[in-house]
Amino acid sequence: MSRERDSLVVCGQCGKAHRWRPLAPTSVARCTRCEAILGRGHRGTIQSLLSLTITATVIFLIALASDVLTLDMRGVARSTTLPGAISAMWEEGQQAIAVLTAITALIAPALFLGLRLYVLVPLAAGRLPRGFAACVRLLHLAGRWNMVEVFTIGALLSLVRLSSLADAVPGPGLFGLGAVMILFAGIESAGLKHLWWQVR
Amino acid sequence: MSATAGGAPVSSDLPPLLGCESCGLVSEDVLAAEAGGAGAAGPRRLVQKCSRCGHVLHARKPMSVQRTWACVVAAAVLYVPANVLPIMTTVQALQHEDHTLIGGILELWGEGSWGLSIIVFIASIAVPVLKIGVLGLLAWTSRHRPAWRRLERAKLYRLIEAVGHWSMLDVYVVVLLAATIRFGPLAGVQAGPALLAFAAVVVLTMLATYAFDPKLIWDDPHARRTA
Repeated sequence: MSRERDSLVVCGQCGKAHRWRPLAPTSVARCTRCEAILGRGHRGTIQSLLSLTITATVIFLIALASDVLTLDMRGVARSTTLPGAISAMWEEGQQAIAVLTAITALIAPALFLGLRLYVLVPLAAGRLPRGFAACVRLLHLAGRWNMVEVFTIGALLSLVRLSSLADAVPGPGLFGLGAVMILFAGIESAGLKHLWWQVR
Repeated sequence: MSATAGGAPVSSDLPPLLGCESCGLVSEDVLAAEAGGAGAAGPRRLVQKCSRCGHVLHARKPMSVQRTWACVVAAAVLYVPANVLPIMTTVQALQHEDHTLIGGILELWGEGSWGLSIIVFIASIAVPVLKIGVLGLLAWTSRHRPAWRRLERAKLYRLIEAVGHWSMLDVYVVVLLAATIRFGPLAGVQAGPALLAFAAVVVLTMLATYAFDPKLIWDDPHARRTA
């Protein structure tokens, strides 16, 4: 029975059951009723996913520590980092906005990467990490509320608006966020449910 | 396009099946089987959990339509102050100036940055209005017009699920401007009251999106009662 169940897949969007056949690397399986994506053929292994995650973590940490934008107004320069922008909002009395920005642009992406590292390192070594099920559930949540890509485009937009006011220069943090945004898309395309396929 | 290569429909004589949202494992819907197939709509005291990962399995998200309506109505109400009140106040050479959401878009358009103003218009005006409208439509039709254009409604849901978080764009822009332009009385930017209202609209519409269960689009509420 369990073998038979493993070869079934239920569409997450409409609930229709399908028999699952392994897919060619670039192909996509869609629900026959609602046309939602049921699954993708796997391009990468756990090792390649892990290497992408490590790269993204390193760049994200650098991006957090460096300036996103620098504004030069008649010789007086002001620059801001991502955590700096959040704390500036907090000090200005907009605590709710500060918390929301912290969750969506800082905590969710940090969980997105940190939990993946915690799960992928043992999986790559052939072991099951402790609390694996809870980690995958939290990763679903982190993926949902991670908006680092929106923040990056927002920073680009602010740069354009600032440049009409004074000398605005993109900092290394902005380039870092741009790279993180692309890496996140790559990591996310692998999906989360397939992590469970490693567990047999 | 080998679109359906991996998914072939199974015959309908199988027992009701549930897919785990977290790990994808397919389980039999034990509670529906016990209730004789009518369990999907009725109140459930028992909870079935995924046998592999322990995630709670629902045939349908509980109180889905009610929670969707609650968030949609709250978002629609807050959308008014988000547009009427100033989203930020700029200080330039001791002069205070209020900017609204639409005002900012018109300014960008006037400066000749048409591409940018269109991006901001889509993220700040089009996406929130689309989300409120579509979620209202989905919640209403799932009860009153269950058979109406199911595939199109399913695609609309997936669209707002995918673009929903992009309306945070303007919130981040104000956060970054306020954090960067800090030159005392010479030049500064302060977040206005509309920012909080607008951020609440974004969060509420996202919560409404996740509260709505797209499986309801394929249900027939009238057939279930007679079955």
